[in-house]
Amino acid sequence: MNKPHRFYGHGIPRVNSADLGGKLIVVEGADGSGRSTQIASLVDWLETQGHATVQVGLKRSTLVSEELEKAQDGNVLSRTTLALFYATDFADQLENLILPALKSGFLVLADRYIYTLMARDMVRGMDEAWLKNLYGIAPEPDVVFYLSVEPEELVQRNLAKTATLDYWESGMDLGLSRDMFDSFLKYQVAMREAFRKLQQSYNFEIIDANRSVAAVTKDLRNNITALLAEAD
Amino acid sequence: MKTFAESQFPGRLIAVEGLDGSGKSTQIYLLKRWLEAEGIKVYFSEWNSSELVKSATSKGKKRELLTPTTFSLIHATDFADRYERHLVPLLRAGYIVLCDRYIFTAFARDVTRGCPPDWVRGNYSFACVPDLTMFFKADLEVSLNRILEGRPKLKFFEAGMDLRLSNDPYESFRIFQGRILDQYLAMTKEFKFVVMDANEAVEKQQVIVRKLVSDRIDLKKFKRRSPLPLPPALHRKHRRDTELNQEEDEQSDKAA
Repeated sequence: MNKPHRFYGHGIPRVNSADLGGKLIVVEGADGSGRSTQIASLVDWLETQGHATVQVGLKRSTLVSEELEKAQDGNVLSRTTLALFYATDFADQLENLILPALKSGFLVLADRYIYTLMARDMVRGMDEAWLKNLYGIAPEPDVVFYLSVEPEELVQRNLAKTATLDYWESGMDLGLSRDMFDSFLKYQVAMREAFRKLQQSYNFEIIDANRSVAAVTKDLRNNITALLAEAD
Repeated sequence: MKTFAESQFPGRLIAVEGLDGSGKSTQIYLLKRWLEAEGIKVYFSEWNSSELVKSATSKGKKRELLTPTTFSLIHATDFADRYERHLVPLLRAGYIVLCDRYIFTAFARDVTRGCPPDWVRGNYSFACVPDLTMFFKADLEVSLNRILEGRPKLKFFEAGMDLRLSNDPYESFRIFQGRILDQYLAMTKEFKFVVMDANEAVEKQQVIVRKLVSDRIDLKKFKRRSPLPLPPALHRKHRRDTELNQEEDEQSDKAA
């Protein structure tokens, strides 16, 4: 039985959720959890099987991605402003990519979704009820995978990849520690807590991503195969 | 929603709302001039003016990329930036902040564009409501004529062309402004707007505005305690004069 799509809250003016087909598949997880690798592999696999796909991610909108990047470089945005700026970026992609793709029956693969945005804002002290109202514009995904990796393992993977830790992924704006290594660990623990809190309202499929790429891929494929079988 | 006074801010916020062409900007400008002359700590802030967000907003408008949802969110972002970086610190420091348009502009416009009222209000719920909101109510025809008299080139979103109300920008503007006026009127009671008769003469309105402000706000509490610092140019000249005097003094010392 094909589950109909619905919006979390008010949705988008003049968009009827009954018109949305396709599937919305979300992959969440910290930098270094293997999100991008897994999505690339899923896209290959799905397209080989004859499914049309569209990929979306954060900070990729035509409307504000450039300005958002610039503002972040200077670290001049306060938390409410940052939250709303990211929401604008999300809404632009939602209306220009996600919703049209779902209407056309595509599989949409989202490299992060509203949950990362909400978790980041919650860690910065924004009210959860406020965030739920804000992101009431989002359609509920068919499945959300949360790639869970221990913070200590994330550090190792990030350093192995780029030999640095990202300023924002280390939560340096929060002043948790002057030491970037400590700050990264503290921030990732706080993010995991925020995701646990969100887990109570939103349904995440938690995948142990401390394991090998191949083992994680296998789990994701099994889940998606089951999801697509329901649709037939 | 609480006012700034109810939220224990030392400062006070006064907002003006109304249609384009209602004369509200003129009135708040004259109010600012008077408060400044009275030696009161005053700051003026305009809708849609955050430097950070401006380039995204103008790109969105120019290239017609905005939907009702992103139109609403980008203006909320702009407002949040001004609110957190300017308004809150100034209000904490005991300023009287004057706003040409406040969150009610967003409520009126975004709801007219089809956004759910609860969603829009929720998004702006981080902000306190003004201590005084004056709504400048002019006859729709008067406001429209003030704007349309010179047959200006109306911008796409300004004319509400995104709502597909009419293919003629002027006709579209008329319908759009009419609907916004309806939204304002529907909010008047809920947000305790003081309704100003904007058909009156400018001077007469300003007398009422000043009276209203001094009745509602104990203005002497907001006076600057220290005189304003000298502007940079004067300051330099002042220093140069002092230095010259000192040199002269030194020379006369030597002569002696």
